[in-house]
Amino acid sequence: MIRIRDLKVWFPLRRGLLRELLGGKPQWVRALDGVSFDVKRGELFCLVGESGCGKTTTGKAMLRLVDATEGDILLEMPEEEYRTYEEVSRKRGDTDAERTKHELRRRYSLTWKEMVPWTKRQTLTLAAFILAALLSSILLPAGILGLLTVPFVSSWITLGASLVVGFTLGAVGTMPPTRPHRRTAVVLAALGVAAMLVLPIPAYFFYRARGGADAPAADPGNYLATAWNNDLFGMLLAIVFAPSVAGGVARTAISARQQAEGLAGIRMRNLRRRLQLIFQDPYESLNPKQSVYEIVCEPLQVNRVVTNPEEMSNLVVSALKDAGLRPPEEFMFRFPHELSGGQRQRVSIAAALVLQPDFIVADEPVSMLDVSIRTEILQLMMDLRRTRGITYLFITHDLGLAWVLADRIAVMYLGKIVEIGTVEQVIATPKHPYTQALISVVPSPDPRHRSQRMILKGERPDPVNIPTGCRFHPRCPVAFEKCGWEAHEVAEELQDALAASPLAGVGPLRVVDPLTFVAAGNPADSAAVALRDLVARLREQRRAFFGIASIEPEGGRVLVRLHAGVEPPLIEVQPGNAVACHLVATPKVPEPAVMA
Amino acid sequence: MEFDTTTGTVHAVEGASFTMGEGEAMGLAGESGCGKTTAALALMRLLPSNGKIVGGSIRFRGRDLVRASEITMRRVRWKEISIIFQGAMNSLNPVQRIGRQIAEPIVLHDDIDRDEALKRAGDLLQLVGISRERINDYPHEFSGGMRQRVMIAMALACNPRLVIADEPVTALDVMIQAQILELLERLKRELGLSMILISHDLSVLAETTDKVAIMYAGKIVEEGSTMDVFTDPKHPYSQGLVTAFPDIRGLRELPAAIPGDVPSLISPPEGCVFHPRCRLAFDRCTRAEPGLDSVGPGRRAACFLYPQVTEVPKRPVQMAKP
Repeated sequence: MIRIRDLKVWFPLRRGLLRELLGGKPQWVRALDGVSFDVKRGELFCLVGESGCGKTTTGKAMLRLVDATEGDILLEMPEEEYRTYEEVSRKRGDTDAERTKHELRRRYSLTWKEMVPWTKRQTLTLAAFILAALLSSILLPAGILGLLTVPFVSSWITLGASLVVGFTLGAVGTMPPTRPHRRTAVVLAALGVAAMLVLPIPAYFFYRARGGADAPAADPGNYLATAWNNDLFGMLLAIVFAPSVAGGVARTAISARQQAEGLAGIRMRNLRRRLQLIFQDPYESLNPKQSVYEIVCEPLQVNRVVTNPEEMSNLVVSALKDAGLRPPEEFMFRFPHELSGGQRQRVSIAAALVLQPDFIVADEPVSMLDVSIRTEILQLMMDLRRTRGITYLFITHDLGLAWVLADRIAVMYLGKIVEIGTVEQVIATPKHPYTQALISVVPSPDPRHRSQRMILKGERPDPVNIPTGCRFHPRCPVAFEKCGWEAHEVAEELQDALAASPLAGVGPLRVVDPLTFVAAGNPADSAAVALRDLVARLREQRRAFFGIASIEPEGGRVLVRLHAGVEPPLIEVQPGNAVACHLVATPKVPEPAVMA
Repeated sequence: MEFDTTTGTVHAVEGASFTMGEGEAMGLAGESGCGKTTAALALMRLLPSNGKIVGGSIRFRGRDLVRASEITMRRVRWKEISIIFQGAMNSLNPVQRIGRQIAEPIVLHDDIDRDEALKRAGDLLQLVGISRERINDYPHEFSGGMRQRVMIAMALACNPRLVIADEPVTALDVMIQAQILELLERLKRELGLSMILISHDLSVLAETTDKVAIMYAGKIVEEGSTMDVFTDPKHPYSQGLVTAFPDIRGLRELPAAIPGDVPSLISPPEGCVFHPRCRLAFDRCTRAEPGLDSVGPGRRAACFLYPQVTEVPKRPVQMAKP
């Protein structure tokens, strides 16, 4: 039903004014860094991971509550067209393919935005049309005024002229061969003022040409002054009126064209009816000043689904009933503080249900509820899935919950999916070391199930500085050569090891570039030998040493070179089960021990 | 103990009694509003001004804390019993360096000067797995898990014998949760601490405690060794609670629900407090209140399903204040 392809959401990191002025690379918080998965109709797809792994951002991006930086969310794309999409996505740089992809994205992707660069021709066309709009908006009303016996004597005449100016500018400047631009309306509005100011000159000129006796002498300054002298009030009004009309007409025309030509504004609103969200905290997501009726009714009003009050209340009643608030009349006029936690969450579910959605993003819907109430809410969600065929994207940090609820599951780490598959594939037989560790630390309510916990050291890295290679490698208990070790990590680890057991003749370390660092050695030859020995001895405890490719003496110091890291792609290991880890792709490295 | 509120008197905890030995870890479990935090606060005599202990005794190493003077209590707190409050990691002073914050109780309770206290703060940081060099950092430079470690270091500042941890891992990620629980276990082992862990999450208690008490609406409904209570719960509420958690190493099925809501503590239901939600309730449950009596070796439950459980004598009914 929904296909997510290479979705990225990056947030710019705000910097101080000084640093902004000094320049440098803009920094990004890479909340989502290339995520792809499918949610099939009627299934419950679970996104799990620790806080900050990007699971909520994915959910928000799917409803366009945050804007995607890159990537596609393809909604109900027919199989055939999807194949074309795949094909053209592979051909980068091919103009025809790009155009086809652009067209497909426009029709199916929720993230589609007009982002094709402007060609020279498009810019010229737009400029020409704006110029034409300016000319016609001056000459057309000027001609009409010239036909009248006396131009600019009555405010009505002046205002009428400004109306014509506004309409002409707005309509001509946004005509179809041009490409809609978000600033077009502003430009046209500004030109509206200019047109109104210049207008008296040709108007009097035409008037004189027709033989108007009382027209002033042939001097443009004189013409302008006459208009202002004769009808100051009208001119002042017209100067406000003309740009407003021009801007308004242009904006309407542009949005109508965007609507007709692709996915914009109103189309998204139609989609929002079908895609709904259940929030995490029922204590904060409900407005304390609104009654239950108002809360559930609001989506209907905002989306202008029904306007008939009776019909509206029928829909609200049935939504409340569906959400298990029976009898609905009893709850309808209560306020959130008069409800228990479970009832509040039912109200949010009712508000999501009232628009009859077929896809619901449930972001930790039960994590704030007491355990004894949780199951009822989950049961309700499952019932709705059965009776209404609702598809869920379930976002949770609770793997136990994912285990009992989900059909398929994706484990995220630092903005990427590390493992995806059916619940049995991912939870019963996890393959990625992160998934294994995560599952091993989930406490079990049964003390007999006390497990061998695999506690990872440290915490999730900063999403601004994502580690190179595999982003999990600094914490991975089985990381090896090509996982992407960087010189500063390995040097730090080595420094630490040296602090514990100093080696004679090995001096301080200095990082040269991301893949090399040097150690002062005296003499270099024996220092290199000693280091090699140390590294070989401590490799198992200090995984970073796996990253060392060579330790060679060179000109009085020891040069340590590292293996280059590669980011592991998501590789399908079983039908439907993909893992992003070098270990599953290279069979020669022993499999990590399967957790008991 | 009772609380006076604007809508009436709340019997937050009633007739709760338990004993624990030196070096033991005890779990207090229950849903929100069941009185587990209140019980812990009462233990340290830290109830807010509208709350008071109405009766009972708290014996700690031969001393009755209920009757102890405020001066004695001041000596007991932190030196003998310390507490890690719920959400405490967010209550560090943001404008004071970590070291000073840890040193403060040491200076107050032990008769040593600031430099020595700071040195001890460094030792404590190391004990909880934070490098000593970070003693001069501010709280915002630490992550949530690290701040929780700092709070634990602070609780240990004066070598207490009993540490009460109120929801020590709630709001932390599972991995950090595991790290903190491991730390608590290690500290308990190495320092021979006694510990009371309060949590709504039974799975957290299952892995860390020796015995548990399950509370419901201000009462302990069941008590026993963790293994017994979690594998063979006696009280219907404990049965419901234990099965309400999905088990990642168990079957793939939606956990069982306990219908209904937690009762109001201002006007609790008559008879057994759990009877309106109990699937096994019978006549007697609506009339009389079961006491917490022995239902097996080393375990007690408050439920009439077990013939040996006796009634609690009725206390004079207190009307809710208007």
